[in-house]
Amino acid sequence: MPGLRPWDDRDRAGLALEVAGGVVPRTLTVTSGPDPGLRPATTGPIPSQTAKTDPITSPRGAANIARFPIADDGTWNNAKQYFITSIVPGFPPSAYMPLRTKGSRPQKRVAFPWKMTTTTTPQQAQGQPSRSPPSPAATALPRVTVTDDDDDGSDSVDEEIVADPISNLGFMIPDIFTQLPLIRDELVTKTSIEQDETVEACLPFLRGDDDFFDYNEHGVPELDRERHIRFLRQCLGKLPGRFVAADASRPWFLYWCLSALTMLGEDVSSYRNAVIATARSMQNETGGFGGGGGQLSHMATSYAVVLALALVGGEEAYDVVDRKAMWKWLCSLKQPDGGFQVCLDLTPESPAWKEDGSANLLTGVSDYIRRCQTFEGGISGQPNAEAHGAYAFCALGCLALLDHPSSCLDIPRLIAWLSARQYAPEGGFSGRTNKLVDGCYSHWVGGCFPLIEACLAGGGATDSDGTKLPPATESLYSREGLTRYILCCCQDQSKRGGLRDKPGKMSDAYHSCYVLSGLSSAQHQWELDEPTDAATGGDGAATAAAEPAWTVFPYLDGPQVFAPKDRVRPIHPVYAIPQQNVCAIQQYFQAKQGF
Amino acid sequence: MALLKPELYGVREGSRLAEDPEWEDVVPIAHQEPEGALAAIAYPEEYAEAMAYLRAVMKAKEHSPRCLRLTEHIINMNPAHYTVWLYRAANVFALNLSIPDEIAWLNGVALRNLKNYQIWHHRHLLVEHYYPQLSLQGPSAIAEFAASEQSFLRDILAEDTKTTTSAELAAIETLLDDDVRNNSAWSHRFFLVFSNPAHSTPGLAASEPDPKVPQEIVDREVAYAMAKIRLAPQSQSGWNYLRGVLVKAGRKLATVEGFTNEFVKGLGEDGEGEDVRSTHALDLLAEIYAERGDKDKADLALRRLGEKWDRIRVGYWEWRRKGLEIGAEA
Ligand SMILES: [Zn+2]
Repeated sequence: MPGLRPWDDRDRAGLALEVAGGVVPRTLTVTSGPDPGLRPATTGPIPSQTAKTDPITSPRGAANIARFPIADDGTWNNAKQYFITSIVPGFPPSAYMPLRTKGSRPQKRVAFPWKMTTTTTPQQAQGQPSRSPPSPAATALPRVTVTDDDDDGSDSVDEEIVADPISNLGFMIPDIFTQLPLIRDELVTKTSIEQDETVEACLPFLRGDDDFFDYNEHGVPELDRERHIRFLRQCLGKLPGRFVAADASRPWFLYWCLSALTMLGEDVSSYRNAVIATARSMQNETGGFGGGGGQLSHMATSYAVVLALALVGGEEAYDVVDRKAMWKWLCSLKQPDGGFQVCLDLTPESPAWKEDGSANLLTGVSDYIRRCQTFEGGISGQPNAEAHGAYAFCALGCLALLDHPSSCLDIPRLIAWLSARQYAPEGGFSGRTNKLVDGCYSHWVGGCFPLIEACLAGGGATDSDGTKLPPATESLYSREGLTRYILCCCQDQSKRGGLRDKPGKMSDAYHSCYVLSGLSSAQHQWELDEPTDAATGGDGAATAAAEPAWTVFPYLDGPQVFAPKDRVRPIHPVYAIPQQNVCAIQQYFQAKQGF
Repeated sequence: MALLKPELYGVREGSRLAEDPEWEDVVPIAHQEPEGALAAIAYPEEYAEAMAYLRAVMKAKEHSPRCLRLTEHIINMNPAHYTVWLYRAANVFALNLSIPDEIAWLNGVALRNLKNYQIWHHRHLLVEHYYPQLSLQGPSAIAEFAASEQSFLRDILAEDTKTTTSAELAAIETLLDDDVRNNSAWSHRFFLVFSNPAHSTPGLAASEPDPKVPQEIVDREVAYAMAKIRLAPQSQSGWNYLRGVLVKAGRKLATVEGFTNEFVKGLGEDGEGEDVRSTHALDLLAEIYAERGDKDKADLALRRLGEKWDRIRVGYWEWRRKGLEIGAEA
C-alpha cells in the first residue's frame, strides 16, 4: 500500500508460527473472548469537591480505579471483547524522531519544553537544526470577531469568538463552548436527561465560572502538573485492602501511572527495579503475564506489562519477557475466526486453533477486524456488536501495523463516526452514539485521528468504490474543543489531583492516563513520511534508513488556548508510549538473535 | 427453580479455611509480593487466605464441590477476578453439574454486577456447553430454555444458538419505545434483522449490501426508522440505522430524500429562511446530492453544517467538501 509503507513492508516470513533459525518473531494479537474488565457499582455519595479526600483511600476512588479501559462504560451486549496488543520489534532506529527533511511546515518547528531525543540517519544529519524558536505566528492571539449574529451568511468558517454574555467578560471563548447546541429535540428520554445534566455540569467549567481555577485569557485553566504527579505516584504505591477489586488489573496501574507520569515530563526510570520485580511476579512459565501472582496469563495484562517495561526501559527490563513462552501462549489463543481469545479457558470445550502450517498468528486478523466495523461506521469488540470508541483505536492501531486500513475498512464511514463523537458545548468525545462525553475517549477516539490522517496522507486511501479520499490538510476534529474539555472539565480540582471522566466524577489512574494521552494527541501533529527515492536508492544497506518515519510537531494551527508550559510529551500514535521508548526496545530485540 | 444444593452453592460463614476440617488436607500457597512491588494491595486476610487455597487447588488441578464453593467465596469478594471464573467453569464441567442450577446462581451474581464481563463470559461458556445437550432433546427443549432465559440471555442466545425470535425483536422495540435514543438497542435490532440466518448471507460486513434480505423487510425497517426519527430528529441513532438499512439493501440514499427534506427548509437562504431540525438530515442530504452528482448543493449543505449547524465538526465538514472536488474529477 502506498500510504502506510512501514506497516506492510516488513518481512512476513518472520510472522510464521514456526519460529526456527533465529527468526525474530513478530506478533500481533487481536483478542476475542472475555475482557477482564469490571465496573463495580459505584454507589454512595460523591465526596464534596472541597473535602480533603485521600486519593487512595477514598471508596469511590477505589471503585473507579479498578477498571479496564475497554470496560470503562462496558455494556452487557459487548460481553465478548477483543483487545489488540502488539509487540512488533520490526522498526529500525531511524524511524524515530528523525529530523525533518521536507521543506513544508517549517513554521511549526518550536522548542519542546523537555529534552527530545532525536535519532538521525546519515541522510538526515546535515545541518538541520532540531529546534527553532516559536514563530511570531505561533504566539499571536487568534483573530477576534465580536459578533452577536451567528448567521451572517458569509463564506468564512472561522470561529466566532465572543465574549461570554453571562460571566467573565473578557475571556475569549467561542460561543459553541458556552451555549447549548442550536438544535435540540423536545422529546425527553432517559438519554436526553443525562445529556442535559452533563452539559449543565460542564458549562460552568467551560465558561470560566468555576472558582477553583485561575483561567487564562482563553478561559482555560492551567494543567495542574504537580498535583497530578503526586496523585499518580500515590497510585503506584501500596494500595489499601478495598482495592481487592483491582487485584486482577494491577499491571494496568503500572502502565497508566508510568505513562501518565512520562507524559507529564517525569523521569520514571527510578521505577525500573520495582517494575522488573513486579512484572516477574506476574509472568507465567507457560507464557504471558497475569494480573498478579498465580493468575492466568491474559492478553490485556500482558499488554500493560510490556508497555510498563518499555516505559522504564533498559536491557534488564526487556529481558524480563520470556518471549518464546509468550509466543507459544499467543499461538494458543488464536481462534479459527482470525481473532484471539484474551485468556485460555480451562475447559476442554475451548476451541483451540490448530496449526496446520498454512496459517500464522496474523492470518485472518484483518478480515476479523473488517467484520467488526458496524453499520454505524465505528468498530465493535466483536462482529455484530455496538460500535465503541475503544475498539476504533485498537482496530486502527492493529491495522496500522498490519496493513493499510483502507484495504479492509470503510474509511469514510469510520471518519464520519469518529467525528460524530465530538460534542458541543462540551468539546470532548463520547464513546458511542448518544452516549455522554468522557475524558478517556480523548485517547480512544482522539488517538484515532493521527492514524486516520496518516492513512489519508499520500492519497493512498480510497472509499469502497475506489474513489480517492482527500488528505486531511486541516485537523479533522476540533483540537481546541478537546483541549478545553480536558483542561476545564477533566482536572480534579480538589487536593487529590488526577484526571477524570467528567465533572462530578473522581479522578483515577485509568482516566489520568488516557485523558493525558488525548491532550498529548491534541497538542501534536504526527506525520508519516514516505521514504524518498533517493533515500531508498535500491541499496540493501539503505533499506532500514528508508523506512518511513513518524515525525511529530507541536500543533500550532488555530488558537493556542493553553500555555506552552502545559504541553505534555508526545506519545507514539500506535504504541501510546514515547517514540524513544518504542525505538529503544525495538532496537534491542532487533539486534538479538532468536528469542 | 428448585433450591440450589447447599454443598455446591452458598456463602461460607465464619471460620477461616485454615480452621476448617474440610480443607485440612490442603497446604495453602501464600503469595509473597516481591520487595518494592508496585501498586501492591494490602489484601484483607480473608481474601489472601482464600487466594492461597485457590492457588493450591488449581495447582493440584482439583475439581470438587469444595472448589466450587471456594470460587463463589472469592467471587463474592472480587467478581472481577477472571482466573477464578475460568476455574469455576472448569469445575462445573468436570463435575458435570446442572447448567440450569449454575445459571440460576449466576443470575443472582449478575444482578449485583451487571457490567461485569466475567459474568457474561461465564454464561457464554455455560450456554456453549449446554447447547449440544439441549439439541439432543429437540427444538422444544431449546425453545423452553430460550424462553426461560429471555430476560437475561437475549444477546448470548441470539449469538450462540442463532435462535432469533420475534419475541426478541419485540423486546428491543420495547427498549426503543422507552428511549428512542438507546443506541445499544438500535445496534442490537440491526443484528437481529440483518444477521438472521433465515434471510442473510453469512460473513458479510455490516456495510456490505446483502441481496438475500427480502425487500419487505427492508421496507419495514425503513418505515420503522423513519417513524422513530420523527420523534427525535436530532438523535443520530435512528439516522445511522436508516442509512445502514439502505446500504445493506443496496438502495440509493436518494430513496429517502423526500423524508430527509422534512427536516431541512430553505437551505442557503438568508436569515430566518433556513430552518434545520436535524444536522444528521443535512448530512444525509449532502450525501444524497453528491450521490447524484449535484456537487454545488452537496457543497452548500456541508458548508452550512460547518458554518452554523454543527460547528464543532467544521474540520470534518471541510474535509468532506474537499472530497466533493475529488469526486467531481473522477
Ligand atoms: Zn472513561
